[in-house]
Amino acid sequence: MNNIAYNIRYILFFLLVFSACKHSESEYHNITDKIEAESKRYHGTSISSESLLEEIHTLQITEGEHTFLIPERKGQIRSYACTECHSIPLSELQKEGDVKKAHWDIKLVHADVNTMNCITCHNGNAMDDLQSLTGNSIDFNRSDKLCSQCHTRQFEDWKGGAHGKKVAGWAPPRASMTCVNCHNPHNPGFKSRWPSRYNTQKVKERE
Amino acid sequence: MSEQNNKRWFSLNLGKAKKQEFYSCSCGKTAGSCGSHEEAKDGFDQVFDVKMNRRTAFKQLTASLMIGAGAVSTSCSMIAGNDRKEKAQIDWEEQFKGNYKLMTVEEKKATVDRLVRSYQLRKGKTISMSSKDAEEGVLFGYAFNISKCQGYMDCVNACVEENNQDRNSQMQYIRIHEMKDGKGFNFNEADDNYYHEVPAEGHFYMGTQCFHCDNPPCVEVCPVQATWREEDGLVVVDYDWCVGCRYCMAACPYDGRRFNWSTPEVPEEEVNKDQHYLGNRMRKKGVMEKCTFCVQRSRAGKNPACVDACPTGARIFGNLLDPNSTIRWVLENKKVFRLKEDLGTEPKFWYFMD
Repeated sequence: MNNIAYNIRYILFFLLVFSACKHSESEYHNITDKIEAESKRYHGTSISSESLLEEIHTLQITEGEHTFLIPERKGQIRSYACTECHSIPLSELQKEGDVKKAHWDIKLVHADVNTMNCITCHNGNAMDDLQSLTGNSIDFNRSDKLCSQCHTRQFEDWKGGAHGKKVAGWAPPRASMTCVNCHNPHNPGFKSRWPSRYNTQKVKERE
Repeated sequence: MSEQNNKRWFSLNLGKAKKQEFYSCSCGKTAGSCGSHEEAKDGFDQVFDVKMNRRTAFKQLTASLMIGAGAVSTSCSMIAGNDRKEKAQIDWEEQFKGNYKLMTVEEKKATVDRLVRSYQLRKGKTISMSSKDAEEGVLFGYAFNISKCQGYMDCVNACVEENNQDRNSQMQYIRIHEMKDGKGFNFNEADDNYYHEVPAEGHFYMGTQCFHCDNPPCVEVCPVQATWREEDGLVVVDYDWCVGCRYCMAACPYDGRRFNWSTPEVPEEEVNKDQHYLGNRMRKKGVMEKCTFCVQRSRAGKNPACVDACPTGARIFGNLLDPNSTIRWVLENKKVFRLKEDLGTEPKFWYFMD
């Protein structure tokens, strides 16, 4: 009897050793597996960006398989609608002579003179809209369509969310800033400047 | 086994488990399934129901007695003001509170309320402190676009201000490494404290911070379980439970953790009063802290401060479990990688290039 009891004890012991609990290891081999498995059970969350977007006027756009919000633009342009001044074609307006100068300080630093000038994007005869390379009119709210004519790669990344920033918050609904929210269309490059912080303590520690 | 109980000699217990454990799971639990063996002890139980040696017992007792004596003297004294009595009461309760990880929702609420009241009594200012738990269906992830970062350090600025980091020692959770083109990711030769116009010719920039590993080595080594991974993937620290041994700092392969060598100082007018217990509430001397993906913001649906501050859009944050999130698009469509992937730490912080 004793022998059997001992045997059982040993068997139990080995069972225990080989089936020991994995204490802190998760049930997934890696994070990719975890994401894949757990997102199958995903049914949305209670967290939403809606309250953060309340004060911001946005409009919904659909580009390919992506549907998301972008900030409205016309309301942000100080002197829109343009036709309030541009009531006659630009050539005639310039002939008039003694007129108030407006946006005279705009200097185009975007591509080079062979590629771009004002009328690549603006239509002197219909100032309230932008125009595509083929002369189709593009709404000021959708200036991204203008940029995407050349910057196709950036446009793809922007649609997916790899290029650009969110308006507010990570949670759905997705609201992404549009091109002109970060880039000045007349001078779109980022400038070199001094870093906004320098750690003097770290310098001391390293001396 | 009466023989064992009567033995009069001393023997070392070298891995010899007690008899009853042979019939149970190796985690020491006799019933229930493996993996669910964490018993919810709290408050006094956590403090007193532990084996300790004489030295730690004395230490605990002295510390508690000091606070107790203070509390008794103020509460018994006729001249002490009500404020002082309340302060002593709060100190007493804070001293004996349990580990945040094991607290119930009510207990979390209670400790947060105590801390808010304590701050009010001490500084006369009202802060708001959240104890919001992880939300279901959320796993936070982060992506960093190396080709976009220009080294402006706006993220570092925003982080310091958001998270009430010590201004005196200029603690920073984020490091931006300036690396030479053509040298690869060479952290030994990288400069993470440059001061010249950026971006510098022939250099690129790469940010590091806590990567919120899914298999975090820092959590493993903590002797008091003062740091852990939350359900939404954030690796957090209970500043009131941390003993400051800095094992986690040594265990982190990414230099993601920071230690308060001195009492953190933040000018009163610069204190961010929108706080979370596990996030940017005021720390004390001798405890660890680190990036929490701004838990006070992210659990409220906002982006971490660094993401919002970045002028170039190099930082992308979101929910890894949401198949429509932008972070998921980045992971599925860009060529992403992580640092030291071979360690098996499974960081939830990916790098990619345009």
